[in-house]
Amino acid sequence: MSKKISRLVIVGGGTAGWLSAGVIAAEHAISKAGDQQDNQFQLTLIESPDIKTIGVGEGTWPSMRTTLSKMGLSETDFIRECTASFKQGTEFSGWTTGENDNYTHPFTAPQGYNETNLAPHWQELQGRPRFDQAVSHQSVLFPDSRAPKQISTPEYAGTVNYGYHLDAAKFAEFLRKHCVEKLGVKHIKANVAAVNSAENGDIASVTTDSSGDIEGDLFIDCSGSRSLLLGEHYGVPLRSKKQFLFNDTALAAQVPYINSDDPIASCTLSTAQTAGWIWDIGLPSRRGTGHVYSSAHNSQENATAELLSYIERTAGAQAAADAEPRKINFDPGHRAEFWHKNCVAIGMSAGFIEPLEASALILVELSSNMIAEQLPANREMMDIVAKRFNDKFLYRWDRIIDFLKLHYILNRRQDQYWRDHLDPSTIPDSLQELIALWKYQGPWHRDTNHTDEMFPSASFQYVLYGMNFETNPSTTIRRSDRLGREAAVNLFQKNAKQRQELQAAMPTNRQLIEKINTYGLQKI
Amino acid sequence: MSKYSLLSQSEHAKLRVITERSADYGDNLMYAMTFPLEFRNIESCYPIFFAKDGESGQFYPLALFGFQRDENLYLKGNVWDATYMPLMVERNPFLIGFQQSPDIENGEKRPVVSINVESPRISETEGEALFSDSGEPSEYLQKTMENLQTIHRGHEQNKAFIAALLENDLLEGFNLDITLKDGSNNRLEGFYTINEEKLAGLQSETLGKLHEQGFLQAIYMVVASFSRVSGLIAKKNASLD
Repeated sequence: MSKKISRLVIVGGGTAGWLSAGVIAAEHAISKAGDQQDNQFQLTLIESPDIKTIGVGEGTWPSMRTTLSKMGLSETDFIRECTASFKQGTEFSGWTTGENDNYTHPFTAPQGYNETNLAPHWQELQGRPRFDQAVSHQSVLFPDSRAPKQISTPEYAGTVNYGYHLDAAKFAEFLRKHCVEKLGVKHIKANVAAVNSAENGDIASVTTDSSGDIEGDLFIDCSGSRSLLLGEHYGVPLRSKKQFLFNDTALAAQVPYINSDDPIASCTLSTAQTAGWIWDIGLPSRRGTGHVYSSAHNSQENATAELLSYIERTAGAQAAADAEPRKINFDPGHRAEFWHKNCVAIGMSAGFIEPLEASALILVELSSNMIAEQLPANREMMDIVAKRFNDKFLYRWDRIIDFLKLHYILNRRQDQYWRDHLDPSTIPDSLQELIALWKYQGPWHRDTNHTDEMFPSASFQYVLYGMNFETNPSTTIRRSDRLGREAAVNLFQKNAKQRQELQAAMPTNRQLIEKINTYGLQKI
Repeated sequence: MSKYSLLSQSEHAKLRVITERSADYGDNLMYAMTFPLEFRNIESCYPIFFAKDGESGQFYPLALFGFQRDENLYLKGNVWDATYMPLMVERNPFLIGFQQSPDIENGEKRPVVSINVESPRISETEGEALFSDSGEPSEYLQKTMENLQTIHRGHEQNKAFIAALLENDLLEGFNLDITLKDGSNNRLEGFYTINEEKLAGLQSETLGKLHEQGFLQAIYMVVASFSRVSGLIAKKNASLD
């Protein structure tokens, strides 16, 4: 008989550790300690009392709604306890020319996306309105910072698609409480002092400084960029992607609102700088900002000055004077593999890249979901599952890199950094191929190789056409285009009508969050 | 047209209230809020459903009068054709509200009566007087005050009632598809009702608790009231003639 896999050990707290613990524990219905019905599945999380969580990753994808709901969490509690708000997409400013240009990437796909590709019809429109405004009703909510739902909308449901902005430290604590109190996760506060190998090279146990040896069948490395198990113990190397995405430094600063009732932005705001970009995430209580840049193209001094100037412009001189930017260095990239022997890395221990499309938390969700769903029955199965896991996540990392790089390669800015991004040697072959194809055939459903692509073709459309990319009209007349034209006219009209309705019906984020704090959302 | 001011003898001594029923007076209501205290009477005339308050998202029970906005199938000209008038309709143009009282500590609020002085029901010549010539509250006003007290208790009762329903997952959304005799298909959306499957599956302990709270009977009256829908459809069909 091969060894059963029933004891999981997560090394590291933070959002990666606790989110993984919650996803896996909820799927495997761990009974509470002392329960006689114990199904023998155990999940232990070892968290260092000394290491502070890095607290980045404050934006989520819409998938987080399903993730939280599956874990049995109430959205009302989540909004209240994590000082969360609603994220409906990203607004990019200055990415094309640097001269007051902007476009958005909303989470809701263009109108009628399943049947009709509006992009070619949009290209034919007189005066060419902004793509996100012509094809999506959601973007009408952004200028007034409106919410994706009303107080009467049930938990986790939305009139338009949304994810969240949240306080990462509070989120980790919120998940910890739920994991320990409701999902039966065992929490050990200790430092890992040594990793002990079994004969077959697996990790048999980890030795802690205050709780002895912790044995396990599968070890999940959520130790952050240190990558204690996968990186340090197994020596799985990091594959740098700096040749494609130059940003390797972040300066993060929390910023207060000028007035406590200032609008809470509906999107992550992403504003291009001379050698990077500034993120701006609105929570009910504060904003989180940061400048992520390339240290090869910009000095820390200049990068700091750019960030402070942004803060001064958006939050006033006092906020800029009070800001204490915290520096985070990172090597953009990911490990050569993520699952090695009986150890799998999730979160920064697996890899980290600039948060341009909030890929950090979604990767944690996808990784822990795959582990939860495909948890190997025994040790022999594990190598097969590990291989599948590695194939899938290497593919996903490549797609992330392609998609992030896409944001950079359509710019017409003059700074060296932005010129360097246009150099073909800095563009992955896979993306060069796509760009060549898209000049004649824009992205749509036919573009996806896998059923569970991370970025749907709609996302590519929003970025491409948001940055004025031209797809040549087809030289021959196709039946589908002819039929599509009529549908497109109706969809453009429908969109214009829905924009009016949405704008009239949706409260602002702040109004909705205040109501959630007062009344809560209904479950049905 | 709503402007509520606190009811006072000095200010409203001469006011009268027209109690006649008419769409002109705002009786063309599709539904009105109700509460378990009057369910027995409501159930004898109207279907009871639940809806969410647009401002707070909180559930409340309602008596249904029609299938679309501004449609009251019980209202025929000046006649409200039912044996019982829901208190939330009857109370117009009065409102019971709450005011922070300076003489009650710990922030408790005391109920106060307001009147919509812009209501078309307000008159100085027609209708029921609010006060006698000597300034005493009229019989009509006294009855109204009683009703408002009941409504106030009903509001409080609803909070506990809804909490009990939600706690036991007893509410569910539903759509009602109706084919009228002219062949048109109509759908009633956005309302909630008692989940009878869940109700049937409740353990005796839960049932006992609901009974003690006085809600078990209320729940079954809501269930029974569903049969009033066919009467409402009949009225709708009759209105098509």
